[in-house]
Amino acid sequence: MPSETHVEHSPLDREGVLSLVRECLADILEISPDRITEGQAFADDLDADSLALIELVETLEEELSERAVGFSIDDEDLEDLKTVRDAVDYVHGRLSRSS
Amino acid sequence: MGGDDAPRSVLAGARLAAERGIPVLLVGQPEQLADVRDFEVVPASQVIAMGAEAAASVRKMKDSSLVRAAEAVRDGRASAMVSAGNTGAAMAASLLKMGRIRGVARPAIATPIIVPGRAWPNVMLDAGANTECTAEWLVQFAQMGAVYCRDRWGVQEPRVGLLSNGEEAGKGSPLVKQAFELLGDRDWQTRTGAVFAGNVEGRDLLEDLVDVIVTDGFTGNVALKTAEGVAKQLIGALMGAFESSEEAREGARLLAPALAPLYDEFSPDSVGGAILLGVNGVSIISHGASSPKALANAVQVAHELAERDTVGSLRRVLRAQ
Repeated sequence: MPSETHVEHSPLDREGVLSLVRECLADILEISPDRITEGQAFADDLDADSLALIELVETLEEELSERAVGFSIDDEDLEDLKTVRDAVDYVHGRLSRSS
Repeated sequence: MGGDDAPRSVLAGARLAAERGIPVLLVGQPEQLADVRDFEVVPASQVIAMGAEAAASVRKMKDSSLVRAAEAVRDGRASAMVSAGNTGAAMAASLLKMGRIRGVARPAIATPIIVPGRAWPNVMLDAGANTECTAEWLVQFAQMGAVYCRDRWGVQEPRVGLLSNGEEAGKGSPLVKQAFELLGDRDWQTRTGAVFAGNVEGRDLLEDLVDVIVTDGFTGNVALKTAEGVAKQLIGALMGAFESSEEAREGARLLAPALAPLYDEFSPDSVGGAILLGVNGVSIISHGASSPKALANAVQVAHELAERDTVGSLRRVLRAQ
């Protein structure tokens, strides 16, 4: 495989997932990543509605699909993701299972 | 490749558009397009049904024609997309794949409403994308509608009306009253090059009072469907009256030359579909029952908006705040 088309990814630890979630969410909500902490609730603290969550999930799937082929987040599980921590734990758990 | 009569009507519409010199890329199931030699085809194995749940379908059916078409715009392979398929799914695919323009809280569906005797229609938004809105969103809808109106029809200083249940400033729901206050602010009007003309009522939708009509997606959709229903019933009643006696038939024959241009003027085929404003690309949403002519007009509109960089105009206005 030519080197320019093959990108080696190191395993993403929980900190890495948190950083990615914060970056993606900050981009969607148009705020600084510094304003996003693990303990915040999407709806009550960040004013992130259901559409923002779907955008987040889509972005995470695209970002992570290279690391874990076919990485996806089940829509049925979205209801359980109330806080940034929930999302980080969920994504980290899925990545760990697929590695 | 969606629509009530797809792929036949879509193919016919694409050929009409191609005859006008517009390059067309088809997105759909290869087996349905096996005999098509005159267009480049982007293969997509899945079809989102007209009644399917929008966001979930877009998320699950990654190889659907709607998702692939939106990705083609996102990736620069196409400069615009036109769909006669599931409206909600077209909206979700455009939003999730193209993304929102920075600063836009919610994209809105802008639909043209014919104004008899005037060269350009009224643009009403939101026609159904957001059932619940904030007053701030309505101001953004006003901005986007005004930019679209100027780019597409050359209206230099579009007049914006707020749909309410009375012309007076104090009329309307709490949302409308709050939006009225915000729309009265000079700053957004100056930045956008638009003028707030106050409230308009449902009976004013087809009047030459304003150029842009702003409302929430629930009210807009109800207003639009009401107007369509009234028009359909009126036409049906007229046709019935024309057929009611030999004298009436004779009268209709005499009137036909005068009525034909009116029919063309009011035909939804002529306006070329609604547009989803606020996403990072041109996305035209046509009626599921669109004729080939309507689809060709929609493709032409999409082509013109891409050429004029209407999305760029929206970015500039919305970035300026």
